Amino acid sequence: MYPIYLDLKIDFVSKMKVAALISLALILIGIASLLIHHGPNWGVEFVGGTEVQLKFQKSIETDVVRKIMEGARYPAESVQQLGLPQDKEYLLRFSPDVVGFDKIELFRSGLNKLIAGNGLFRGATVQRIDFIGPQIGKELIRKAFFAIILGWIGIMLYLMIRFEFSFALGAVIAIIHDILITLGAIFFLDKEFTLVVVAALLTVIGYSVNDTIVIFDRIRENLGKTQKIGFRELVSESLNQTLSRTILTYFTVLLVLIALFLLGGAVIHDFAFTLMVGITAGTYSSIFMASAFVIYWRDKRASSA
Amino acid sequence: MRRASKGWISVIVVVTFLCLIFLMPTFLGDSLPSWWGKVFPKKGLRLGLDLKGGVYLLLGVESGNAVDHELSGIRESIVAQAKEKGILLRSVTADGKSLTVTLFSKSDLKKTKELRASYADIASISEGNLSFTLTLNDAFIKQSMRKAIDQVKEVITNRIDEFGVLEPIVQRLGSDRILIQVPGASVSDRQRIINIINRTAVLEFKIVRDTAPDKATLLAKHNIDTTDPAQMALAKKTLAQQNLALYPGGDDSRANEKFFLTDLHAGVTGKYISDAKLSFDSYGRPAVGFNFKGEGASKFGKLTGENIGKRLAIVLDGVVKSAPTINDRITASGIITRRFTLDEAKDLALVLRSGALPVPVKVLEERSVGPSLGRDSIAQGRLSLIAGGVLVLLFMVFYYRVQGVIANAALALNMLFLMGFLSAFGVTLTLPGIAGLVLTLGMAVDGNVIIFERIKEELRIGKTSNAAIDAGYGRSLWTVLDANITTLLTALILFWFGTGPIKGFAVTLSVGIVSTVFSNVVVAKVISDFIYGSRKTASVSI
Repeated sequence: MYPIYLDLKIDFVSKMKVAALISLALILIGIASLLIHHGPNWGVEFVGGTEVQLKFQKSIETDVVRKIMEGARYPAESVQQLGLPQDKEYLLRFSPDVVGFDKIELFRSGLNKLIAGNGLFRGATVQRIDFIGPQIGKELIRKAFFAIILGWIGIMLYLMIRFEFSFALGAVIAIIHDILITLGAIFFLDKEFTLVVVAALLTVIGYSVNDTIVIFDRIRENLGKTQKIGFRELVSESLNQTLSRTILTYFTVLLVLIALFLLGGAVIHDFAFTLMVGITAGTYSSIFMASAFVIYWRDKRASSA
Repeated sequence: MRRASKGWISVIVVVTFLCLIFLMPTFLGDSLPSWWGKVFPKKGLRLGLDLKGGVYLLLGVESGNAVDHELSGIRESIVAQAKEKGILLRSVTADGKSLTVTLFSKSDLKKTKELRASYADIASISEGNLSFTLTLNDAFIKQSMRKAIDQVKEVITNRIDEFGVLEPIVQRLGSDRILIQVPGASVSDRQRIINIINRTAVLEFKIVRDTAPDKATLLAKHNIDTTDPAQMALAKKTLAQQNLALYPGGDDSRANEKFFLTDLHAGVTGKYISDAKLSFDSYGRPAVGFNFKGEGASKFGKLTGENIGKRLAIVLDGVVKSAPTINDRITASGIITRRFTLDEAKDLALVLRSGALPVPVKVLEERSVGPSLGRDSIAQGRLSLIAGGVLVLLFMVFYYRVQGVIANAALALNMLFLMGFLSAFGVTLTLPGIAGLVLTLGMAVDGNVIIFERIKEELRIGKTSNAAIDAGYGRSLWTVLDANITTLLTALILFWFGTGPIKGFAVTLSVGIVSTVFSNVVVAKVISDFIYGSRKTASVSI
C-alpha cells in the first residue's frame, strides 16, 4: 500500500488564522470584480432575450463578432466565448427589444446571409437559438435564490439531528465560504452567470458538506473515545486521520472534472471549471473553516461557562 | 459474518439482471422483439433536446378569458332551452362574469324558473323585474380555468400530433403553463409549429349587414359619432346593443370593403365542422375546404337557407376571411379561399380540424437546437464519460491494488444499476445529465476511499485482515450514509428548481447517489467477502 498518512501530524489548527485571511482576501477580490463589472454577467435565462450559440469555422475574436453583429443592425448585449479557444464557439445575447420573439425568423435569415457571405462568419453553424420571455427570468432568479437557501436550511437541519448545533453552524459557514469563493472566481473572470452555474453551486454545496461530514464524523468518534487530550489536539488528530481520504477523494473527483473540462464541449467546460474551483474551496473549507469554527465555539462556551 | 451473505448476493444478482433487462430498449431500440413491451418496460433512455435537436416551447395560458368562453356556452344553452319551451327572449347580454337574460313578460319570467334553477350550483341567480342574472361563482370560475387549460393542452396535442413529427411531448406544468417539446423538428418546421400553436382558430359564420372602405364611415352609418373619442371607445358595446359586431377584412379584401358589420352572434361556429382539409379553388389555388355533418349541417343549412341573397362572412380569429354571397341553401360543405400558400392552407385545415383554443396562449420561452449541436454533444458526452471512467479505474487499481479491483467491479455494477434505473423510467438524458453520470463516477469512489482508508487504519492497529475488513465496513457505514444523504438533498433541491437540461443533471446525480451508496456498502463488501471469506489468514492487498 502507498499510505499518505505517515505520522505526519500536521498542525492544522495553528494555520487556521492564516487560512481565514487568505480566504478573506480571495473573497474581497471577488467582490471588487463584481463592482468593477457593474454586477454579474447575467445569463439569458435571468434577464430574458434571445441567445444564439454560433460555431465558427474561421478563427475570430470576440470584438470582431460584436462589430459584425452591430453592422448587421443587431447589436448584442453580450458576446461570450464558450469553452476553449479551439472550440470556436460563441454565445451571443440580444435584448428582447433588438430580437423579440416575433423577429426571430427575420434574425435567423439575417444570420444566414452573413454565414453565406464572404466575411468571417462564413461557414459558421447556428447551433441553437433560445428565446426567454421576461417573466421567466424573474421567476428563475427567485427560484434560484430559494433553491440555495433551501439547501442551506435542509443541510443545517440534518446536521443538527446527526451532530450538534455548533457542528451544523460550522458546516454552514464552510458552505457560505465556498459559494463566495466560487462566485468570486466567476465574477473575476466575468463568466456568464447562468442556470448551469447555479446547478454547479448546488453541487459544490453537496460536495463541501460531504467533505465536512467525514471530518466531523471522525471528531465525534474521537470525542467518544478519550477525554485525555484537549479539544484542539483532538480536532487536529481527527484532521490528520482523515487527511488521506480527503486528499484522495478530492483527487479522484478532480480527475473526472478534468476529463469533463477538456472533453465535454463548450458548455460543460464552463460547468467543470466552476466545479473545480468549488471543490477546491470545499476541501479547503472543510479542513480550515468548519473545524476552526467548532473549536472557536467550544472555546467561547468554555470561557463563558 | 464471514461467508458472503447469501441474502445480499441474491439481491445483487436480481438487481443486475433487472437492470440488464431495463437497458435492452436503450441499446436494441427497434430490434426489440414485439412481445417485449408486454412483460418489461420498453421505453429506454430518451435523448434530450440538446442531444437530439428540436424545438422546445413553454406556453403561458391566459385563462382569464375562460370566463368569456363559459358564458358564451351557457348563453347558447339558454337560448336553445328557451326555444324548446317556446319562451321568447328579449335579450341575453354578458358582462364580466354575469349573464343577464331579459324577457317580455312576467309570466315568461315565471316559466324560466326551472331553467334558472339548473344553474344554481355554478352561479348565483338574481331576479329583476323582467329579467334574471346569473353570476358565476368563484369556485366554478377556478374550475373553468383549469378546464380551459386542459382543453388547450388537448387541442395543442392534437395539432402537434397531426403535424406529423415523431414523438412530440406536450405536458402541463403547474396551473397555467404548457410545455411542448418537438424533438427532431427542423428550422423550417419551427415557424410552422409556432403558427399552428398560436392560432386561437375561432371560426364563425355570420351574416354580413354592412361594409365600408374604412372604420369611421361604417360606424357613422350606425349612429356612432366618430369625432367623439368617448363614443368610439364604447363603439363595441353600442354596436352590440344593435346586435352588430365590427370586423376588419383580411389583407386581400376589396378596397371598398375593408371593414364589415355582421350579426353579433354566430349562426354556426367552427366547432360544428366535422372535417377540414386542403382543397383547391376554381383557379387551382390552395384553399381550405370544410364539411358539416349532423347538427352542424342542419344549423348551417338553416343559416344559409334563411339568408339567401345575403352575404356570409367567414370570420377567422376576428378577421373576415371571405364573404361570399349565399345563392342557395348549403348544408354539407364550404370553402375558404384566400391568398394561401400550400403550407398555410394545410396548416389552417389542421388547426380547424383540431378545434379552437378556448383561450389564447403566449410563448414564454423557446429553445431551438440544431441537429449538429446534438451530434457534437453526444460525442463529447460519450468521450468524457469513457475518459473519466478509465482514469478512475486505473487510479483505483494503482492505489488500492486488489481491493481497488473490487472497487472497480462494484463501480461497474453501480453504473449498470444507474443506467438501468434511468432507462426503466424512460428518463430523458441531456448533456448535463451525462456530466452528472461522470460526476457520479468520481463521487462513487469516495465511498470506497472512506471504507478502504478505515480498513488500512484497522490493519495498522494490528487487526487481522478479515477483522480489519469487517471493522472497516462496519465503522464507516454511517459516515458514508451521512455524507451521501446531504449530497442527495442538494441534488433533490436541484431537481425541484431546475428546468430542462438542469433537471436531467439532477436526476442522474440523485439516482447515482442512491446506487452509489448501495454499491459502496453492499456490493463491494459482498465481492470482498466472496474473495477473502473462505481464507483464514490471507493478507489483504490494499
